[in-house]
Amino acid sequence: MSLLEHLGRRGHLSDRQFARVWTEDGRDPHLQACPDCQSRYQQFTAWLDGVGDDLHADADAAFPAERLAAQQIQIARRIDALEHPVRILAFPRAARAVIAGQSHARRWVAAAAAASFIAGIGIGQMLDLRHATALPPASVTADAHLASTTASAHAIGVRTVAASAFDEDFLMSDGDTLARPRIAGLRAIDDLTPRARDLVERASR
Amino acid sequence: MTGTPVAAAISGREADGLTTTAVKALRAEGRQAEARDRYAELVARHQRRAGRIAYHYLHDAAEADEAVQDAFVKAYSHLESFRDGLPFDVWFTRILINGCLDRIKARTRRERWIQPVGDAASGERDLSERIASHGPSPEEALLAQERRRTIAAALARLPERQRSVFVLSQVEGCTSREVSALTGLNESTVRVHLFRAIRKLRTLLGPEGAQPLEATHEGKRRVTS
Repeated sequence: MSLLEHLGRRGHLSDRQFARVWTEDGRDPHLQACPDCQSRYQQFTAWLDGVGDDLHADADAAFPAERLAAQQIQIARRIDALEHPVRILAFPRAARAVIAGQSHARRWVAAAAAASFIAGIGIGQMLDLRHATALPPASVTADAHLASTTASAHAIGVRTVAASAFDEDFLMSDGDTLARPRIAGLRAIDDLTPRARDLVERASR
Repeated sequence: MTGTPVAAAISGREADGLTTTAVKALRAEGRQAEARDRYAELVARHQRRAGRIAYHYLHDAAEADEAVQDAFVKAYSHLESFRDGLPFDVWFTRILINGCLDRIKARTRRERWIQPVGDAASGERDLSERIASHGPSPEEALLAQERRRTIAAALARLPERQRSVFVLSQVEGCTSREVSALTGLNESTVRVHLFRAIRKLRTLLGPEGAQPLEATHEGKRRVTS
């Protein structure tokens, strides 16, 4: 607005006052009496309506009839889905059975298996401990074995024969077993087999 | 998805009241399919207006479309909490506006981290304008398009509350009392925001910034209490 226009409109309503009048009740004493302001106010309201109409048309252009129809269908579909929730298909089938765990029997079986497993581990540990306490320490056993081995190392050649005779006595001590009738059929084989004692005696001669 | 003849004969709000009551009753009886059909009448009556409001909030047709769908679905699922006698459009518009504000917040958070690649809204707009532009000449269409863009840009520069109040009152024709009910602001505050919005738009656009279209001049809206 030029200075001349501004000076010429002194005493008349400004745009700001038009806005105030428009947003309130649309009545102003000066506006009622001044034809110039009435004309300018009409232009102002026309401008404002034009802005509203343009915004209206802009939004309507973004929503053509096809889009509205598609929107209606989509809303109906979504409401339908609300009432009929989707079914979830389990995949894989076995995994669903395990995860779902709907059967109480399965739960009990699983719990019993877990309990048995834990009990087995516990018992195993206890038995190991018993064995560990009954036997001498491993280091002591090893030392004793080493000492006996070195002490008898010199007489190995003589003692071997004696030990073999002792083993034969031990093996043949259960004479009753051989005398039993049910193993009588084996006696022939036994007679054919050379005995260790005979071999030792023959060797000593 | 059209209203019954009886509903067409009476005013929109009365029809809304009858429809919402009927939908609630049908749902209570377990007649879900019929309830959905009756609700479709409400959707058909309000979706265009809802689309306009959402579009002015979000400036993106696709997102506005989703916001409108969300609002209708939410309104249907919470219809039991809607009190008979209240205007359905006020209740529904409040749901819609809250949804739009949530989307704006989410978008702001998203844009803080992600740089947008291109202007998706402009592509959407171009398609819709191609669909809608079979009336005026190309020059007129171009001028109208330019004018709309200028106005939309000026509107986007308004603070959020001023923009909401201006859109609801000047574009949707709500009274200041209705705007007050929709936004939760006092009536006097609504008037103040409207006054400031008009003043700012007048400054941004100038008196010749938006000449009214000849064809769209029949409906004048006023904000009265």
